[in-house]
Amino acid sequence: MKKDLLGWALAGMLLAVSAGAAGAEEPIRIGHSVSLTGGSSMWGLAEQNALDMLVEEINAAGGVLGRTLELIHYDNRGDAVESVNVARRLVGDGVVAVIGPAQSGNSIASAPVFENAGIPMVVTTATNPAVTVDPSSGQVRPMAFRPCFIDPFQGTIAAQFAFEDLKARRAAILYDVGSDYSQWLAKYFEEAFKVAGGTIVAQEAFRSEELDYRAQLGRIKEQAPDVIFIPTMQKEAALAAKQARDLGITAGLLGGDGWGSPDLMDLGGSAIDGGYFVNITDLADPDIQKFLQAYREKFGADPVLPNPVMAQDALLLLVDAMKRAGSTDGKALAAAMENTKDLPVTSGRLTMDPENHDPFNKPAVIQRVDVGQKAFVFVKKFEPGRN
Amino acid sequence: MLQTLVTGLSIGGIYALMAVGYSLVFSVLNFSNFAHGAVIMLGAYAGLGVVRLFPPHLALAVTGAAVAGALVAALNERLAYAALRRRRAPALYLMISAMGCAVFLENLVYAVLGSRFYAFPEMIARSVVTLGGTSVSLLDAGALGFALLAILALHLFLTRTVTGLAIRAGVSDMTMCALMGVNLDRLILVVFLLAGAFAGVAGAFLGVKYMVYPTMGWITNKAYIAAVIGGLGSLPGALLGGLLLGVTETVVSTYISSVLRDVFSFAILIALLLYLPHGLLGREAEEKI
Repeated sequence: MKKDLLGWALAGMLLAVSAGAAGAEEPIRIGHSVSLTGGSSMWGLAEQNALDMLVEEINAAGGVLGRTLELIHYDNRGDAVESVNVARRLVGDGVVAVIGPAQSGNSIASAPVFENAGIPMVVTTATNPAVTVDPSSGQVRPMAFRPCFIDPFQGTIAAQFAFEDLKARRAAILYDVGSDYSQWLAKYFEEAFKVAGGTIVAQEAFRSEELDYRAQLGRIKEQAPDVIFIPTMQKEAALAAKQARDLGITAGLLGGDGWGSPDLMDLGGSAIDGGYFVNITDLADPDIQKFLQAYREKFGADPVLPNPVMAQDALLLLVDAMKRAGSTDGKALAAAMENTKDLPVTSGRLTMDPENHDPFNKPAVIQRVDVGQKAFVFVKKFEPGRN
Repeated sequence: MLQTLVTGLSIGGIYALMAVGYSLVFSVLNFSNFAHGAVIMLGAYAGLGVVRLFPPHLALAVTGAAVAGALVAALNERLAYAALRRRRAPALYLMISAMGCAVFLENLVYAVLGSRFYAFPEMIARSVVTLGGTSVSLLDAGALGFALLAILALHLFLTRTVTGLAIRAGVSDMTMCALMGVNLDRLILVVFLLAGAFAGVAGAFLGVKYMVYPTMGWITNKAYIAAVIGGLGSLPGALLGGLLLGVTETVVSTYISSVLRDVFSFAILIALLLYLPHGLLGREAEEKI
């Protein structure tokens, strides 16, 4: 009997919902390719929360172009093949634009699908230059945009920080030869550190699946560097830190935004304490305090940064483009996004470079790993143009 | 140079600990138990669980991992291999079943515990002893020492006890051994319990030294090579092969190129098998896989 009642209730609700939808104007559908399961899910879930929160706000204020916004979140599991499947599904669903993916590899894999469909893709935290510029032709990808900084900038910031703030003159690099992110970031750091006037005394590599870097670290130790730059994900950074300290290396440790995962401190323990890394934003960033307060009120916890902030920037970028274009057509949206100037977004202000679809003037923060406090401590903010 | 040697020996010690399990099973059943890596992985997770439930202590973690490893290996034998064995299936089938078990267990962990990485809490301080400009971490020295002791204990067990005698008899002729009144099922169970305990210990050390995650078992590919270099089925061979491989890898990484390390390790394996098909200390035997 109970089952019957439930069935009728459900059928009734479905009827009511479809009647309502038919009556009102169709909502604007925006896709979201996001890791809701797997290793990157903690950022993905925070992205989803932050976007839902912002869409609720926008719809309550009357929506965009007289229509409401509707988000479609699909789980790409942080995987390149799955990201392409999600991209195809979103195209099939008739979305007008897509937010995500968050990772460079997955974004590069998804880009051609959206380009062929003429649907703009705004990635959240993918920092590799090839996400928005096709490396084989050197041409900008017409439908790919991002609100975050790119790796050359990140490498430069790390090198500047090492040279000026840590007063390092001799730097060593330990990177992952199996990862594009790591290889390129190592190169950008090297160039910028040399330009600043420092010397790269050792450059050692390992392959992604390896666990033991002591042979490489032994060579680095012989060169007695002031600082070791480790542009990897948190797992490799933690292993390298432990093994460096085991070998008696006392040099400072420095990394990129790949370190920015809360489990870095569990994995690296005391060895990673006092390390510095570049990140997109920080809980102490004065520009995002209003967002943080709203997020805490709604979800009762701090968001896992920086993805939710970048996801909101991506959506605000899209909404602004819709308003200026007065349409949701893909080409019109892309043209409007290219000419975004001084748009107020969650992380500050955004101006798009039409040459490469990367933002001008995106800030970066330096964070220090504090294992005792179990936190990343805000050290300083780099703002190109304002510094 | 000395630092390279020390680092190589400490890596080799763990290879040796893992290689012993391969050799032990191979010596009795004549097949390569590729599920060994998965048992190592589960041992590491068990050690981690023990450390989280009880006061964190290295000895407790190693013991817990050894017990769990022994149980998983024994269960694996009873559920997956025993029926094949009784039907006298060719060793190749046992090996394929073992590969299946490895993938099954790995995916089970993915499904139940997820893919995230875990690290052991710091149970012994990251103390480093410096001897003549060479840094030796206490954990490494302890792991190598423990590996040597455990392998010695196993050797004594095999040579000085009745069960050990039965296992060695089984190694030379299983059918004859059964005819002499030895309970083969029990004998094989003991072999798997021992191999599993070694796997658990190796897993705990690997976890403490590096990290715990579902695919960590694949590092046993190296241990398997170590076992083959030393001579599959020979315990001193497993030890020798492990240490040799660890030192070779470190020397290649340090003096030639870290990216070419595996090119060298596997080239040595191929060359060695060409000239010494039974490894350094292996004995002549048929049907080696």
